[in-house]
Amino acid sequence: MSFMKAEGTKAEGAKLESCHSRGLSAIAPGATAESGNPETETASNHSLWSDAWRQVRRNRLAVASLWIIGLYFVLALYGEGTYWYYQWRDTTPFYQQTNLEEEYLPPSIFRAPFAGLKNEAGKTQCPCPLLRAAKNLVKHPLGTDNLGRDVFQRTVQGARIAFQVGIITSCIAIPIGVILGCLAGYFGGRTDDFVVWLYSTFASIPGLLFILAVAMVAGKGLLGVYLGIGLTTWVGLCRLIRGEVMKHKTRAYVLAARTLGFGPARIMFRHILPNIFHIVIISFSLRFPAAISTEVFMSFLGIGVQGEPSWGIMISNARLRLWQGVWWEMTFVTLAIFLIVLAFNLFGDALRDALDPRLRTSEK
Amino acid sequence: MIPTVFGVIVITFILFNVVGGSPAMMTLGKNVSQKSLEEFDEQRGFNKPLFFGNWTKTRAFADDSFARNASLWRDNPFVGWEAGQNSRMNHVVLAPTNDFLLPLAFSLKPKTKYRWIISYDLAESLAFCRMDNPGGAGGYVRVHNAWPLKSGPAWQKTEIEFSTGDNPAGLEFMLRTGNAPLKISSIKFRRATSHFLDSQFVFYLGQIAKFDFGRSNYFNQRVSQMLKDGIGPSLALTVPIFVIGLLLAIIISLICAYFRDTWLDRAFVIIAVVLMSVNYLVWIIAGQYFLAYRLGWFPIWGFESWRYLSLPVFIGVVSGLGDNLRFYRTIMLDEMYRDYVRTAFAKGVSRSGVLFRHVLKNAMIPILTNVIIAIPFLYTGSILLESFFGIPGLGNMGINAINYSDVDVVRAIVLIGALLYVAANLLTDICYALVDPRVRLG
Repeated sequence: MSFMKAEGTKAEGAKLESCHSRGLSAIAPGATAESGNPETETASNHSLWSDAWRQVRRNRLAVASLWIIGLYFVLALYGEGTYWYYQWRDTTPFYQQTNLEEEYLPPSIFRAPFAGLKNEAGKTQCPCPLLRAAKNLVKHPLGTDNLGRDVFQRTVQGARIAFQVGIITSCIAIPIGVILGCLAGYFGGRTDDFVVWLYSTFASIPGLLFILAVAMVAGKGLLGVYLGIGLTTWVGLCRLIRGEVMKHKTRAYVLAARTLGFGPARIMFRHILPNIFHIVIISFSLRFPAAISTEVFMSFLGIGVQGEPSWGIMISNARLRLWQGVWWEMTFVTLAIFLIVLAFNLFGDALRDALDPRLRTSEK
Repeated sequence: MIPTVFGVIVITFILFNVVGGSPAMMTLGKNVSQKSLEEFDEQRGFNKPLFFGNWTKTRAFADDSFARNASLWRDNPFVGWEAGQNSRMNHVVLAPTNDFLLPLAFSLKPKTKYRWIISYDLAESLAFCRMDNPGGAGGYVRVHNAWPLKSGPAWQKTEIEFSTGDNPAGLEFMLRTGNAPLKISSIKFRRATSHFLDSQFVFYLGQIAKFDFGRSNYFNQRVSQMLKDGIGPSLALTVPIFVIGLLLAIIISLICAYFRDTWLDRAFVIIAVVLMSVNYLVWIIAGQYFLAYRLGWFPIWGFESWRYLSLPVFIGVVSGLGDNLRFYRTIMLDEMYRDYVRTAFAKGVSRSGVLFRHVLKNAMIPILTNVIIAIPFLYTGSILLESFFGIPGLGNMGINAINYSDVDVVRAIVLIGALLYVAANLLTDICYALVDPRVRLG
């Protein structure tokens, strides 16, 4: 991958940083969870989140992206369901079964609509031609690959893997970044020195190679992908959180909490963190597409997912068929990846604009 | 800077030496003799303790705790196995008045100290651990040494230390039981290191200090030689991508800043997001398929003349454009809202005058940072482009090394990349001081 794209999070971190360089002092008090005195909250006093939500909803592209993300999520859940169903039945899932009679079927709309599919023994053809055409359309809607496996089902399984990777790597990277950032920003001194040393060390190792090396050490397979991406991409978030916590540390509400005798853990995670949580949300929405792309890349290279249909593996298979004119598998997989990544990018941008008032003014 | 360098060294060390399991096994596979594994380790310093220590494991004898069965004496009818109170107390029972061989996988190093650590339980009489050298002329057995295992309170541990002579080939170790059965719960075998700090970490530091990055097992070549061979093609690919991509992105972002808030600007923003969302693989596969194979404008594969580089460079530029464009546009627009820009406009400076004379100059600082920080990443090449287009660069080498678990190569590439990055960081600070008079060094 190219140097600029090397990790995704580097440039993204820089982008975030430039957006937050002036802080969010304007909105912070309004969002303070601890200042929540219910009587003073009037109907016109919107919280940061409801305000941001309204902002996002006004953006039509963002709403469309959200729908796409939701659709993918539902498909991924369906994929998870079928996966576990076949696990429980202890049989090979149908999207993995070889069916050489139906290899290289083009997508259903490119097939002759009234041609009966190969008739299964003992079954009579459906008499109504329209019904037959409809059946034809539903069967293998996106065609089949070289082993007669349904491209649509495999793409759905790919979505499942992609969501798994996005969510699990975030579950590894975000807690590391948040906790280290909070500790460094709040305590300062030696702790800060250590955390800064740690993240500058991590930042200086070439991203993709680092991921691949971790995956190599952890072994081929999904675990390697999770650990490789999760353990190496927390740096940008940690840096941002640290900076924000340092700013908030001297705010009045933190001083008040300290005067009340609350411990540092409570102040960090109950008082400061809710105020800077939008950074985590933005970072999540921006790291998701990066994680998906990295997984595709790793699976393509053969050190990612093993023995399951993932987008990277499908691309790697379809690439060889492309030269024989089998275009559909490649097209639909790349389209699937493109759509979800685009949706996440657009939604992440909208979310950042909504949660960051400074950018909001400059967009007008 | 120095702490970061140290940190990078520590992290690569932890990654490959501490967590990485056995690099020898990873590289050579599991069906190799213990001897070749040990030789592999010896060559790379993996047969030493991690950080410090006087004793280290050796593959000559695998530690045995008899947790599940009599393992090395499984087929010996004179050996029984008993479960203890807990799994750690599981043990073998050696029948009385017999010899039991402690098999060594390969002969020991000459003039080195070794020791056996045996946890045993002996109710009465004595047992012996003997060192024999049956390989002598005439085939007679000469007992070198015998150490008694004394009876005593239940479960004791003994350490038997010895030094191999000049010719340790064919040394054999026996346990000879006396009149009572001998129970053994664990046997360990250790080799003495030459000194306390004779460790993997110190060995690694020494290697780095000598710029010796070891040997690739798969290619059977020195890693430093491979790096030297690979860096040329890598740079020939990445430098043009970088320069062209940078210039293009800056020009377009200036156009965006010039026409900000018009349809042109918005169109570029949308194009940038769309470009960003197309997977890198797709760019390569589509480019190779349509431009090279279908249209025949470019050679498909190989590395012979500059024509072979043109398509990968083109793909690299296009695929990186979206990210770059957004980044530089943000920088330019950030500057556009500054006070000095408003002042310049108020003074009546033309739009292009403001853009080129004021904004571009001030935007140089973030641009410079981004440029210098990107330079170290040029060195690692582009893994995908190189492997797709058959360019024998470092990216290609890296991915092969990862596929063949060639630890030394991966480690060297990661380490050098990180060191270059640290150096580039330092360079950025110096350039700051040169470009921006407000920043001073020291």
